Amino acid sequence: MGTRPLQGIRVADFGWIYSVPHATAWLGALGADVIRIETSGAPDLVRFLTGTDGSIGANRSGIFHAINSSRRSIALNLAMPEAQEIARKIIRQSDFVTENFTVGNMAKYNLAYDDLVKIKPDIIMLSGTPLGQDGPLAASVGFGPTTQAFAGLCHITGYPDSFPCGIGGTWPDFAVGTAMVFFLLAALRYRDRTGEGQYLDLSMAEMVTTMMPEAMMDFLMNGRDQAAIGNRDESMAPHGVFPAAGDDQWIAIATASDDEFAKLCEALGAPSMASDPKFARLFGRLANVEELEREIAARTRVSPRDELVAKLRARGLAAGPVYSTLELMEDPVFSRSNMLVKLKHSEVGERVVPGLPVNFGAIDLEYRGAPMIGEHTDEVLTELLGYSAAEIARLKEAKVLI
Amino acid sequence: MTRFEPFREPPRALEGLKVVELPCLDTMAFLAASMAAKSFADFGAEVVKVEPPQTGSQERALGPFRDEMPDPETGGLHLYLNTNKLGVTIDLENRRGRDLALDLLAPADIVFNPNRPELNEQLGIDWRTLTARFPKLIVVSITFFGAESPYRNLRGGDLVATHMSGVGYETPWHQVTDPSNQPPLKLGGRQSDYLTGYTAAAAAICALYSRMTNGAGQHVDVGQWLSMISMIRPNLGFYSHETPDSPSFQRLSTRRKTGAQWVYPCKDGWVSFNAGIDRFWRGAKKAMGNPEWMDSELFDTVLGRAAHIDAIEAGVIDWLSTQTRAEAFEKAQAEHVPCFPVYSPAEVAGNRQYKARKFFIDLEHPAAREVRMPGAPCKFTRTPWRIVRGAPLLGEHNQMILGGRIGRSDAELAGLAAAGII
Repeated sequence: MGTRPLQGIRVADFGWIYSVPHATAWLGALGADVIRIETSGAPDLVRFLTGTDGSIGANRSGIFHAINSSRRSIALNLAMPEAQEIARKIIRQSDFVTENFTVGNMAKYNLAYDDLVKIKPDIIMLSGTPLGQDGPLAASVGFGPTTQAFAGLCHITGYPDSFPCGIGGTWPDFAVGTAMVFFLLAALRYRDRTGEGQYLDLSMAEMVTTMMPEAMMDFLMNGRDQAAIGNRDESMAPHGVFPAAGDDQWIAIATASDDEFAKLCEALGAPSMASDPKFARLFGRLANVEELEREIAARTRVSPRDELVAKLRARGLAAGPVYSTLELMEDPVFSRSNMLVKLKHSEVGERVVPGLPVNFGAIDLEYRGAPMIGEHTDEVLTELLGYSAAEIARLKEAKVLI
Repeated sequence: MTRFEPFREPPRALEGLKVVELPCLDTMAFLAASMAAKSFADFGAEVVKVEPPQTGSQERALGPFRDEMPDPETGGLHLYLNTNKLGVTIDLENRRGRDLALDLLAPADIVFNPNRPELNEQLGIDWRTLTARFPKLIVVSITFFGAESPYRNLRGGDLVATHMSGVGYETPWHQVTDPSNQPPLKLGGRQSDYLTGYTAAAAAICALYSRMTNGAGQHVDVGQWLSMISMIRPNLGFYSHETPDSPSFQRLSTRRKTGAQWVYPCKDGWVSFNAGIDRFWRGAKKAMGNPEWMDSELFDTVLGRAAHIDAIEAGVIDWLSTQTRAEAFEKAQAEHVPCFPVYSPAEVAGNRQYKARKFFIDLEHPAAREVRMPGAPCKFTRTPWRIVRGAPLLGEHNQMILGGRIGRSDAELAGLAAAGII
């Protein structure tokens, strides 16, 4: 029997798009009661990004379902004072408030941290924004992928001597969301020990910059402004993505030592390359990296990718197939891993979505399908807040509830 | 009368927690373990970093070095990743060394172990042994593919994890026009190592909450590959919901540019820019001075704009060619349109927003002297992230920890040092 570590913890979640919903999906899976407070004025645009079986609708987005598991949804018109009062009643019974609106939005709803500590002094509130809550550019709006340009990551991502690049996977939203789990629980631990809550101000850009120490330390120590180096590494060669036989088939190979390079040459049927004075030592391989890569590519492109991967792995080398998502889903290990979970959604039925990327030895992760918009409005108002059916009907009539 | 409170350092969120970071003895995800342990140390946990004697941990051998002069005490990664940690040297391949390490683990709450499952078993520090011996200990394995995965003993790393996750396949995002000469691309630096570090930190603190419910530790299995796959979850969502002929599903099978990219060239560099949703489109129109071409009804809806993205991008690039990064950033943001300059590391280090928020911090280090580095990943108002000590010198805390904490006598420590075990 595993545990449900956050049973009894409640989250009033105003998060939307990707980062905060990802963080609260972790908390929900750990047993917290996550109440997603949605607003009619600004429905989560992810609800409409893609659909199910060819049709789009507020409750049909596969992306939304992949990110918003294990929570309840209540839909309020937060522009109305009565709706704000309902939100405050939920917050009075919550441990966390999470949000990632543009700076100042929560204040418009009278739900800024300063408002909330008055009604729940030990509340822990986390705000995620592109550039943080203060400073001259605090009002900036943006998604993670646009914000990482400011943080330096696009500049160092790209082909050598080429243009800066945007990054796949809507990086860094889910990286930020994952780190938020750590920050929230660190603050909870402090509250558990002292009874004191606090406000957490997360700047996505700063968070991204904490993940680029190589480039930042090189500038701060040496004044060297690093540029993109493609798939290369400053301390390994070859370290790259090489073509395999067929259309758009690629293999990633990272070679950590001279000994590994010799094994690679042998596997590629070119053992003499390992003793070529240009390539035998790391120094030479780095100095002649373009020629080295051409030589390697000429030999990889004749082999089917997976055959070559198996050959290199058998020699203990770091090599892997470059997967599209479609191929990833066919990987024999990933497709059977318990990171993929089948959940029931009220409108579209059972679907497979990603769970947490971690395996816990003794926690029962609690996955529930993503909610339809406002699916739990009546339930939360009745069970948590004690509203009567007549009051709920009136609030719906008055468009306080949607 | 004014009462003067005595000056008190602000409290630290994770004060009282004991964490041990084991060294990686071959080629596993040691940067991830270092980042995970740093996250705990920087919020106040006591982290003991165990390093191999003589050589020290592997990040000490990686640059950047000041003036390119390799020195295990002053490497940039070591200085950054090992803040607030106590450093001890122990040879884990030696039985007496392992006994010392086990004594360190006895009172610990969390251990991060970045070694290959096979090697852990040989050394008797695999998670089964450790969780059986220390029932309250949270044992976090940090491996390439997961300690229990069928791939557990395969070699991986930042490059392989990125490209096996689907993230590399999508990078660069909608900028590939010549696929055979533009291979899938990894992210700059070592993003997947640090992501795995944050994932391990999050998972470890979840396990700590589990222990609060029943007093028991557990094994937490963190792998770099799944940590990266977690980043591609929108794709996994539409894979299971959409039909293979839908546009979003189609996108999964090609790297070739079919939609809006995130970054565009301008007069003096590049900016990120996005005008996808209606609100941003209206704002972009104003920011760009209401050009006539934007009035076309083809562009009235999100779907219409997606279908004619080539024409829109041509218009946007045309406008940007007359704007500097600063002008585009200011004009777009004035209309609440996502747009940021593409900054180089030097510009990141000098930008006024980070300065105003005091993001970079300065510290004095005995070997490296004055060092500046990235600071808090998140600002806590009551228990702020802070540095109380710089990265340890090799073996700096041997006496304090191995002598004071686990009670080895001076004579014994001298003997261990003479034998090269510490």
